[in-house]
Amino acid sequence: MSLKREVDQFANPPRWLFFRPTLEHYYEAFVIQSFVQYLITSAIVAVASTACALVLGTLAAYSLARFELPWNLDRKLSLWILSTRMFPAIVTAVPLFLMMRDLRLLDTRLSLIIVYTGFNLPFVVWMMRGFFVEVPRDLEEAALVDGDSRLGALWRVVLPLVAPGLAATAVFCLIVSWNEFLFALVLTQTDQAMTLPVGIAGRVTQYEIKWGIMSAAGAVAIIPILAFALVVQKYLVRGLSLGAVKG
Amino acid sequence: MQKLTRSFNASSRDLLFATLLVTPALAVLVSLSIYPLLYSIQIALQTDGPAGPTWSFANFSRLAGDNFFLAAMAHTFIYSAFALTFEFVLGFALALILNSTIRGQRVFRAAFLIPMMIPPVVVGVVWRLMLNPNFGAVNGVLRQLGINTEQLTWTASPRLALAAVIAVDVWQWTPFVFLVLLAGLQAIPQEPYEAARVDGSNAWQTFRHVTLPLLKPAILIVLLLRTMDLLRVFDQIFILTEGGPGFATETVSLYIYRAAFRFSDFGYAAAMSFVLLIITNLISAIYIRLLQSREGVA
Repeated sequence: MSLKREVDQFANPPRWLFFRPTLEHYYEAFVIQSFVQYLITSAIVAVASTACALVLGTLAAYSLARFELPWNLDRKLSLWILSTRMFPAIVTAVPLFLMMRDLRLLDTRLSLIIVYTGFNLPFVVWMMRGFFVEVPRDLEEAALVDGDSRLGALWRVVLPLVAPGLAATAVFCLIVSWNEFLFALVLTQTDQAMTLPVGIAGRVTQYEIKWGIMSAAGAVAIIPILAFALVVQKYLVRGLSLGAVKG
Repeated sequence: MQKLTRSFNASSRDLLFATLLVTPALAVLVSLSIYPLLYSIQIALQTDGPAGPTWSFANFSRLAGDNFFLAAMAHTFIYSAFALTFEFVLGFALALILNSTIRGQRVFRAAFLIPMMIPPVVVGVVWRLMLNPNFGAVNGVLRQLGINTEQLTWTASPRLALAAVIAVDVWQWTPFVFLVLLAGLQAIPQEPYEAARVDGSNAWQTFRHVTLPLLKPAILIVLLLRTMDLLRVFDQIFILTEGGPGFATETVSLYIYRAAFRFSDFGYAAAMSFVLLIITNLISAIYIRLLQSREGVA
């Protein structure tokens, strides 16, 4: 659709394959309209929130996977962390909007980075906890005997072993942040902080829909996701089921 | 959940280390989920009066008499029940069929990835286009098959709109059910099947007494995750129909969104959020109870 001229778009019967391709919709979407800016915002927000969630979540996951806290706290905390992921997004969207308003963070990229970090954190904890549990303890114990600190053992011995899992987790976070719509819709108002999904949605609800532009923007929104999805194919089931089913 | 078999001796230094690692993440989660929840309890229970905010259950009592809210609830349940049933039956059937054929699985997996990964907004846009009664692909195909499409206005028809948004969800999420159940099927060892064969079980008996019980955890997880997602559905419907035509596809999430961000009625929106939260919590508690009862037996 994004490659079709408008004459061909509305042809009846539809022209599936035999139409003259054009790149004008891409040009209009990304050069004339502000989709480039949405694209940049989406990328910044996705990368920054993924990075924050990975650092915080991996440390917490290691702690929960390796140490028995008193009163079974490690298991209780893990379950509680998972349960925060089950909240319907709209439930926290209302208070988070008001909080961001009070903090004067509405319509900033920072607000989205903060919210997405919190959104991805339970996922990172659960995925990484699963990967850490699979690493044999002997390796770390050996490193500790050799005089490594706990953090050193984590950094030099354990993390390299879970690197593929870490990468897969990161990709999932990127996809979730990239696709997220509700919070982005609620927390942003102008082009300066809108992400690609909000930008696209904003064009849909107008009376006349420019299908060519929409499709061009949609195609650009999909391509990085598909590339990423192919990379994590091996971990797909595990990631989608929050680490519950090992595919 | 795996019970940890062996653990480091929890010396006090280790305990301190473990606590330090887990604290930042907990702090973030508390400030981004517990604090907002408490905050929304507060706004739900406060109503602005002439003498400043007063505490009351006004927002909650208003809920019970709000027919729009009840209708949105009904739509949400209908949507969730139908989508869940179709997704589960189709996904399970596909998983069973493809589990027996080893070839072609990789191709299927890769192809099935696509709908789930597409941003929901883009899914909404693409389907809105395809379901367009005049130049959309769906009616285009039907017309070429010689079917009269005059009545099939999809998202513009109150009767068809809900079916259309359910169909889109089924299109997008059946692959998820399929992939998780396929992974579950492939994790089942061969021995129970051989034993069943020796005992002379027929195909149905084998399915009923071997496959189903061993697949139960995967089934429950898939149902839990899908139910939670369906009950909070927002993105695709917002793009596809905006809750319309009229009120035909308005779900609870959309209604809450409208109350808060179109009418700035934050207190009422917060009260409705609470009802939604309690319902989803109850349902997830049931699933988790079922999962744990399985662990107790095993």
